[in-house]
Amino acid sequence: MNPKKLSRRSFLQAAGALGMGAGLARAVPAFGSPFLQNTTLRWWWWADEPGFSAWIDDVAARFAAQHSGTSVETLQMDVSAVITQFTTAAAAGEPPDVQFLWNGLYHMENVWLGYLDPLNDYLPADVLRDSNATAMSIYEGKQYRVGWYPVPLLFEYNKDVWDQAGLDADNPPATWDAWMGACEALKTAGFVPFGGGASDGYWGEWYLTLMLTQALNNGGEGIDLFIGERDFREPRYWEFWAKLEEMVKAGYLNNDILSVDLFSAVNKVLTGELATTLNVGAVLPAHIAQIGDRVGMMIAPVYSDGAMGGKPISDTQGFGIPSGSRNKELAAELLALTQSPESLDAMWSLTRYFPANKTWDPSPIDDPTLRQLYDGWVGAETTLWLSVLMPTMFWTDAMFVAAQEILAGRMTAEQAGEQHASIVQQWRMLNDDLIPNYQVFAASIAAESL
Amino acid sequence: MVRTRPLTPYLFIAPLVGLLVFIFGYPLARVFDFSTRRIRGFDGPSVGFANFEALFADPVFWLAVRHNLQLLLAIIPLLLLSLLLAIALYERLGGWRIFRTIVFLPYILAIPIVAVVLRNMFQLNGPINTVLRSVGLEGLALDWLGDADIALWTVMAMIIWRESAFGVVLFLSRLLSLNEELAESAQLDGANWWQRTLYIVIPQLRGVIEFYLVLSLITLLAAVFSYVYIVPGRGGPGNATMILELYIYNWAFDKRLPGMGAAVSVVLFLVTIVFMVLMFRLRRQAAAEEVG
Repeated sequence: MNPKKLSRRSFLQAAGALGMGAGLARAVPAFGSPFLQNTTLRWWWWADEPGFSAWIDDVAARFAAQHSGTSVETLQMDVSAVITQFTTAAAAGEPPDVQFLWNGLYHMENVWLGYLDPLNDYLPADVLRDSNATAMSIYEGKQYRVGWYPVPLLFEYNKDVWDQAGLDADNPPATWDAWMGACEALKTAGFVPFGGGASDGYWGEWYLTLMLTQALNNGGEGIDLFIGERDFREPRYWEFWAKLEEMVKAGYLNNDILSVDLFSAVNKVLTGELATTLNVGAVLPAHIAQIGDRVGMMIAPVYSDGAMGGKPISDTQGFGIPSGSRNKELAAELLALTQSPESLDAMWSLTRYFPANKTWDPSPIDDPTLRQLYDGWVGAETTLWLSVLMPTMFWTDAMFVAAQEILAGRMTAEQAGEQHASIVQQWRMLNDDLIPNYQVFAASIAAESL
Repeated sequence: MVRTRPLTPYLFIAPLVGLLVFIFGYPLARVFDFSTRRIRGFDGPSVGFANFEALFADPVFWLAVRHNLQLLLAIIPLLLLSLLLAIALYERLGGWRIFRTIVFLPYILAIPIVAVVLRNMFQLNGPINTVLRSVGLEGLALDWLGDADIALWTVMAMIIWRESAFGVVLFLSRLLSLNEELAESAQLDGANWWQRTLYIVIPQLRGVIEFYLVLSLITLLAAVFSYVYIVPGRGGPGNATMILELYIYNWAFDKRLPGMGAAVSVVLFLVTIVFMVLMFRLRRQAAAEEVG
């Protein structure tokens, strides 16, 4: 057809034909579905370490190979959208079939909205238990996640730098006073003793988790504090900010902490620009690959007398099944596959990191530093990651602001306590419908004595 | 002459009007509806004006308003810079083709890309301060993003740098369509370059300048989210770069209270409308005075 001579009639005929074609294309699968049985399982995920995509791809490929006519479509989410993207999709009735979920309130609020199904109906009790999703995935006796990999939270330091400052790098300080002494020695030797990047807020969250935890006896007390059943104006609950203030005043932190983001700064510990920083276990294999056994790890130095103090902190990332999934049985089979011995071994062989599952045999860990991480923060008795029990409003309005203002020297710890109490009251006023759920959750966490 | 029924034209445009009402009107109505509810998911009970009461009682809201108003100060430099660059390019000064590309480039790049690059450049120990220190200007090597007293001004400078590119495009396209005879005859009458620019060229740009002013106003009130979210990071340090858009985002997504987010959106929408009505009224008044 000569395009120059395209008449209106021809154009309308062509458009009509295209429209019919499109309509038929949609209609055909509906007629053909009993024969084709094509199902696409949608799996949305995120990980602290992007390299974990190798494991996701491997599991997805093995699942598709085991289920003919089924394909797995994976989507790697951005850290800032992990919660919001899922909640929005769930509210719109278009969630994925398997969803990555952070622990605690980050998925529990979706449970209360009816966006997640309990897994007890789909998976055997021992699979759920062994996956090590922790008690923060359980509400009223129902479990909503299976575990994927553990997330230890710790102080990471450069042993070479500590050696040069005359410190015993194999015996890091356990108490606050000893820690401050180490910082002074590092500073005297010309190093930046401690720090990171706080511009995006996560450093503040990690600091709060490592330090406020020590003022508490269990996670239930943490929830009580965040929802106003306890008072942030009590000195024991803002003392952790006073410790940060103390370090700022002593000049122990890097001067650019407010202008760099978390993960840019974390790597400064490798070059010795920072002697010590805060880090999560999933990032450590990459650091160990670069400086080997010069990677030092320590539990946060103890300053308070809460029962949770002095213990290693570790959480678990995990997956759940959205209530709006149209393929729940298949999704459950995929979750079961993530917990199979092959998948647990594949996690180690593909990522050089370990799965959370309690049944996994850690003997393949051939690196002593990684083994130290596993034994100290995964195999040992650990305590919970407090900030996953923090309502997001506390994150944005209280923690984020206070951490940065204290680092800038514009707010005192006591003022931070006042500010937190005020934000908590605002949260209560706007979320009074959720308070009973939080109270039930707090009671069950407290009962676990975490 | 063919006579048409009075309703006929309206029938022709009805489908498009319907589509526009659906695309813009429905979401707007939902936002107004959400603002009076405590939304959980997609629905929730009515709470009357409680969201607005909580909003007006929140000091962070007023801080965000103040920051947005502060950002409006950028309109003047935006306009002047755009005009200056457009006229310079119009005059075809040496190397103008290269300069044109350089000026347009930031506008072609997506804001998040520009923001990430600028964030790295403006870090305390980033390239800009490194250069300043290396040329002995240590005193000017400020903590551009980490100092709460400076961060919003840094963001404003970035906005001016990028958004002025659009003004240049706009003004240059109008300049290229001007009737050059006027300027030539003024030149013959002895008018120098400044006189021609001030009294011949710029008055002819009046319409497009007004359009750009309205657009800049809307941009600075409601389209700078990416800058403050990425460059200093989440409106920090503290709340030093908190603006209304980010404040809305925090309520709607991070804090999971879309009703509160909708209440702020309603306020922002109404304020923007008031600004625009005022501007159009001033314009009409000025036009009437000219005719008079």
